[in-house]
Amino acid sequence: MFNTGTIYSNFTPLVKSPVIGYRISGEDVLLVLKKLTKRNFSKDHSIMKLVELHNIDGTILDKCNVVYFKSPNSFTGEDVCEIFIHGSPLIASQLEQLFKDLNIPGLRLAQRGEFSLRSVLNNKYSLKQAKAINLIINNESFSSLEYDKKILFEGDSVSGLDPLREDIVNLFSEITASIDFVDDEVFNFKKIIKKSRNFFNNCNKLLLKNRTKIEQKNICRVMIIGPVNVGKSTLFNKIIDKNRAIVTEIKGTTRDILSNQIIVDGKKFEIFDTAGQRSKQGRIEKFGYKKAQKLSKEIDHFFILKDKKTKNTDLNQLFKDFDINKNFTLIETKSDQFSYNTKNIKINHNLNREDLIKRIKLPRIYNKYIDHRNHKLEFNSNEIEFLEKILEYERDILNEKDILIIAQLMRNILDDFSYEFGYINNEDVYDRVFSNFCIGK
Amino acid sequence: MEHYDVIVIGAGHAGLEAANVCEKYSLKTALITKNKSDLGKLSCNPSIGGVGKTHIASEVDILGGVICRIGDKSAIHYRVLNLSKGPAVWGVRAQIDRDLYAKNMQKYIKSSKIELIEDEAINILQKNNKIIGVDCINAGKIKSKVVILTTGTFLNGKIYFGNEVKEAGRIGNSSAKELAKFINKNFKTMRLKTGTPPRIYTQSIDYDILDPQLSENNGIFLSYFTKQNTNKNINCYITKTNNKTHKIIRDNLDKSAMYSGIIKSQGVRYCPSIEDKVTKFGDRNGHNIFLEPEGLNSDLVYPNGISNSLDKKIQLKFLRSIKGLEKCEVDQFGYAVEYDSVDPRELKNNFETKKIENFFLAGQINGTTGYEEAAGQGIYAGIQTVVKIKKVKFDNKVFERDNSYIGVLVDDLTKLGVTEPYRMFTSRAENRLKLRTDNSYERFATNINTKIFNKTDYNLINKNIDNEKKIIKILESLKYSPNDLMKKKIKVKKDGKIRNGFEVLKFLDPTTNNFKKFFNITINQKLLTKMYFDSKYEVFYERERKSYVQLNKNKNMNLTNIDFNKIPSLSREILEKLNKYKPVNLNDAGKISGITPSALFQIIKHKKIKGTKVA
Repeated sequence: MFNTGTIYSNFTPLVKSPVIGYRISGEDVLLVLKKLTKRNFSKDHSIMKLVELHNIDGTILDKCNVVYFKSPNSFTGEDVCEIFIHGSPLIASQLEQLFKDLNIPGLRLAQRGEFSLRSVLNNKYSLKQAKAINLIINNESFSSLEYDKKILFEGDSVSGLDPLREDIVNLFSEITASIDFVDDEVFNFKKIIKKSRNFFNNCNKLLLKNRTKIEQKNICRVMIIGPVNVGKSTLFNKIIDKNRAIVTEIKGTTRDILSNQIIVDGKKFEIFDTAGQRSKQGRIEKFGYKKAQKLSKEIDHFFILKDKKTKNTDLNQLFKDFDINKNFTLIETKSDQFSYNTKNIKINHNLNREDLIKRIKLPRIYNKYIDHRNHKLEFNSNEIEFLEKILEYERDILNEKDILIIAQLMRNILDDFSYEFGYINNEDVYDRVFSNFCIGK
Repeated sequence: MEHYDVIVIGAGHAGLEAANVCEKYSLKTALITKNKSDLGKLSCNPSIGGVGKTHIASEVDILGGVICRIGDKSAIHYRVLNLSKGPAVWGVRAQIDRDLYAKNMQKYIKSSKIELIEDEAINILQKNNKIIGVDCINAGKIKSKVVILTTGTFLNGKIYFGNEVKEAGRIGNSSAKELAKFINKNFKTMRLKTGTPPRIYTQSIDYDILDPQLSENNGIFLSYFTKQNTNKNINCYITKTNNKTHKIIRDNLDKSAMYSGIIKSQGVRYCPSIEDKVTKFGDRNGHNIFLEPEGLNSDLVYPNGISNSLDKKIQLKFLRSIKGLEKCEVDQFGYAVEYDSVDPRELKNNFETKKIENFFLAGQINGTTGYEEAAGQGIYAGIQTVVKIKKVKFDNKVFERDNSYIGVLVDDLTKLGVTEPYRMFTSRAENRLKLRTDNSYERFATNINTKIFNKTDYNLINKNIDNEKKIIKILESLKYSPNDLMKKKIKVKKDGKIRNGFEVLKFLDPTTNNFKKFFNITINQKLLTKMYFDSKYEVFYERERKSYVQLNKNKNMNLTNIDFNKIPSLSREILEKLNKYKPVNLNDAGKISGITPSALFQIIKHKKIKGTKVA
């Protein structure tokens, strides 16, 4: 069913809007255009033309822009045209009716994902790139958006799974050689099991290394700490600024720690407000403080607040209680009430939010922790899920005595790779066999 | 003017199988060959079978083909490859006496109703893109409903020794130039290349210093119907190239047709010339050469492993650098063959050309290599001709790629085309565990009839099938709990699952004594081995293509609330079935016919993604 016929579909939503776009792809595109516009587009590759679309009875359906892309220089690699009708869902439905009335065999509504599928089949995009398009459209975080864009624009070479893919093709080709080319290759079962074990060990290592990273991938976690009554909550409320509707998610207020996610300059933060530190704490407060201490291991950066009344012993206690290291900014509050002689950042509640955020250098803090982290990140969550899937084969393969069953399971893994990250076919395997082994009686 | 149902052009493996099966189904069949005495000539190595190759051959055999029967009759040496790896990849290989094979084949064809025409076809006659006959040099126009073209490497064939070029399909036979014009005009073609080694006089080889390879006599033959091999069996020998050989070859690459740039077409990666081996893999420990006798009374030896297109003088020089061949004399030097083949994507799934109705192509002309691959295509084209002309009912399901190697071959050729001569490997078959030589008769059972087999053979197959059915019925009636099995010292999971005898079979050591002791049924070893592996591999049969682990794990996945229409990757046919039967869980879905493992897989995937979003 797939891959045959000329297909059409809208590529903008069918709602009242300035324009609605339709895309057509397949070998009959020129014929469709000829019937719709009474015009030959074959020499108008990639040129936008203002034309009239005619109904079967000759009346005009719409006057609109049409652009034709000649195969193979198009999104799908086939002849493609895009029609930009006026943004009325009614005109759109008339156009779809017209497509049916044209009575061109094989012209039909595209199935979901069919344009992308064709572009993959015609080698315009790899499967992974096609998936990246989808991921980009549905992305909600800027940094993983960058990751997916990288896949789309730079091709497949960026995946951390690539080495594994190489490994599995090599392993499979070795097994293949030992079965299909017995005249040339000596069969060594132990060696194959050993290599399989190595492969799964590598999978496991990669998984462990990346799973934790992925969980905290895009979000910079900042905790506000300090003695009681120093202005922590004031700062917290100002940063999260509920009134400006940039709060993305409210995690639920606990009695002890408050947290909130915000986006500043396209960067995602989770801000934590904590119970203050003082020598005589109530039970609930104590509990909250302890919880904050525990959480501090997962915090990227601390804002340590102090005012004129704060004693050095209080600060030392904070450094003892929290896992701060050097990741902190010392902020002096109530600068409208007190005067400070330090180089520390100074704030007061008269500052507007924008100035405050500038002063506490929130975006720079993000760059320090997250960009660095993403740079090291090898996998996205799809790939992590995939690794887990592969590892389900581990026990079955390593405990198996029958090389043919091992080969069958390996083929499943190979198929899974194909399914997720682009087709690996028999020929790829044979390429490897014939370049690694001297085969041929 | 004669009027035939079918004219087969070419009397190689493909042509013979095609003509034979057409004749068996009572079509009026003519076989055109340039030279009657060349009928049944093995033009390359003197052996039939091997891993992947035997697999096709056994299917041809059970479809009523001749390659295995005549092969067994002419065999002088047997080996079973991969014996340590289970019968799914066992490959019997028989060394064949060339003269015997040709003699037996000619005798067989003469005894059939196939009309042998010694002539050269120069044109294919068609009207409104439909076949009407063939034009021959001597006989002129001959009418027929169908033409099956099996010209092998003869289309525009050119052979090369070093810088010397001759127009020929193989040594001693002129190439088919006229026919090539017709083919090139009507179809997309490509140039392919293959090679053959020199032939050495057996008296000039010093066997005393070489390792012999003995014939194995373990009752495994090419054909299902062969009970014994009556020919005298003789040895093959192994020797190796060495650094001196490699140096001679390396120093003279400019005198190789393939390396000097004369031949530009694509050669075979898995059957590399010795020039290739030396250039790509260097000295290693030397490259094996198998010295295969060409026949009991032949004084020639086929040195397998050193096909080349070097200058004749260089060939002799490098041969004489090899252990045992120091004083060798050469009868026929090695050469490369370059020929036209048709892009097999010009063919419909039944091997009929898309452009001309009733015109079938089979064999090496479709870009393949190997006797068995040719035979498989020949019989396939023959059967499809019968189906088309006689409207014979034939269960074509066996020719799907999950059910037979012929199916894999047909599917690969017509869908993917070829970039180099195509050879069968067992790894091409996703369903390898099921496509075994020991069960071809079972896979093809629905098509076994008295037209293709004489009464004795027909009864033999049916007797065996009935016997097996009977035993399986008894086995399935026997029930064992894990406790029962523990008592009998068989380790299984204590999962409380009651297993029937057939399911228990895979836990046994498959000897007839064991079987008798355990089930109290007498069985022969051949059948036991087959059933043992059926029991063992059953779990892979229907879901081999996609992770059986995944499917197994998710088999209780609830599907009652799922809207299948929202799974974009399911085909319409599968959607219709799922919506019609409304399976409760994945296991049930898997039981609906036509639901592929990959469809199940997509359901799992969809459900998982959806699940996480809700949570």
